[in-house]
Amino acid sequence: MSFDIDIVFRYGPLLLSGLWTTVYVCALASLLAVAAGLAAALLYGLPFRAVKLLCRAYIEIMRGTPILILLFILYYGGPSAGLTLEAETVGIVGLGFYGGGYFAEIFRAGFQSIPPGQIEAARMLGIPRPAIVARIQIPQMLTLIIPPSTNQVIILTKESALLSIITVAELTKNTTQMVNETFAVVEPYVAVALLYWLIIEGIALAGGALERRFSRAS
Amino acid sequence: MSEEAESGTMEGKPVVLVEGLHKRFGATHVLKGIDLAVEKSQVVCVIGPSGSGKSTLLRCMAFLDRYDEGRVFIENRLLGYRETDGELTRDSERNIDSVRSVIGMVFQHYNLWPHMTALGNVTEALRVVRKLGRREAEHIGMEMLGKVGLNDKAHDHPARLSGGQQQRTAIARALAIRPHVMFFDEPTSALDPELVGEVLQVMQELASEGMTMVVVTHEMGFAAHVADEVVFMDDGEVVERGSPDDIFKRPRSDRLREFLDTWRSRAI
Repeated sequence: MSFDIDIVFRYGPLLLSGLWTTVYVCALASLLAVAAGLAAALLYGLPFRAVKLLCRAYIEIMRGTPILILLFILYYGGPSAGLTLEAETVGIVGLGFYGGGYFAEIFRAGFQSIPPGQIEAARMLGIPRPAIVARIQIPQMLTLIIPPSTNQVIILTKESALLSIITVAELTKNTTQMVNETFAVVEPYVAVALLYWLIIEGIALAGGALERRFSRAS
Repeated sequence: MSEEAESGTMEGKPVVLVEGLHKRFGATHVLKGIDLAVEKSQVVCVIGPSGSGKSTLLRCMAFLDRYDEGRVFIENRLLGYRETDGELTRDSERNIDSVRSVIGMVFQHYNLWPHMTALGNVTEALRVVRKLGRREAEHIGMEMLGKVGLNDKAHDHPARLSGGQQQRTAIARALAIRPHVMFFDEPTSALDPELVGEVLQVMQELASEGMTMVVVTHEMGFAAHVADEVVFMDDGEVVERGSPDDIFKRPRSDRLREFLDTWRSRAI
């Protein structure tokens, strides 16, 4: 079996454009996932049964449904509900809210790790709840939640390959195009595997750096 | 409100007034109609066996636990509820904060924030609640740490402090907001015996400066020497109350006698 590196160079621009799409779609989806997860975990902590149930339902639906089905529902089912979105937007929103279900659980575990006495002490001093979250809970949670969060972003990034099925011109979609045009299989898929590995290594390195920084701070 | 308290319009009114307080945890009736009045500059010690409800009483007095019946007034303001035509409805968080703002609370397990230095712990409320600048907050913070003898530990994190130093930091943190009354919930129960003294000494100094204090404690020596009134609780009720001499030298009830006997037999 020979490996024709020239094909890879010839399709370099297409692969790089797919790489860029994957990176920014995953970055935005991760931000959305963190925000949705944090919101769900905070709402879950409120003493209202209905809100708790709603958060639980969100988490269960996201964790109980394959991401591909969620993407199909949003992309193909959306228009019938008056929701017509660009494929890329569907990708960001779908992956974002899907990841949010997992981030909610990471944050919830983080909040639970703070002894309630610390919150009572803050309440007795009149410190408002948003300040308790931002200045007392989250800084202490960081060392605990950074490793699973890094993992979650990595999983989200790998799952973004499914966006090729709803026509987002990301890394996997562009690779498939390369396969179709060149009839080569090994070169495109090895190249794309390497590119995914590079992105994921970057995320892991960033996560590790954050972890070291916050474990020093605490 | 603090001006009102200091200008003397509160004269004669207790700083803390508890009327007919009941608390249930499910089917367990923990507080069965507690009455208590704490006057300005008075030190009231609450003693009693474990499970007698004394910590729950203090937590209800701070509204950390919701009480089911009765009233808690802090400087004449109802805490935790709003009363309309005799009906109690839960008050807004903002009002609860406002009524509570004159209470400084010290917990058994210190409850310091481990990611902040001692000074950070003491200045947090000054910065976030009082909105003071860093310099001013730290000036007050150092003053408070000085009061509990911890100037040299200001920049250490709680993990580097002994239990006694942590509890003194917690006292400084509570004092920083200039409370009119201090609640102590078994402040020395989690400490190694040799560290109890330094915390009690700080509390004694506070008492001698005229701080109004409610202290739930197992330290009978402290209660005997510092308290103006000692309240003995058992099984969710106040069984006896009186001066330290009354309680420790002339107990009237069997339950108190038994409690003191147990304590004395252990103290030797």
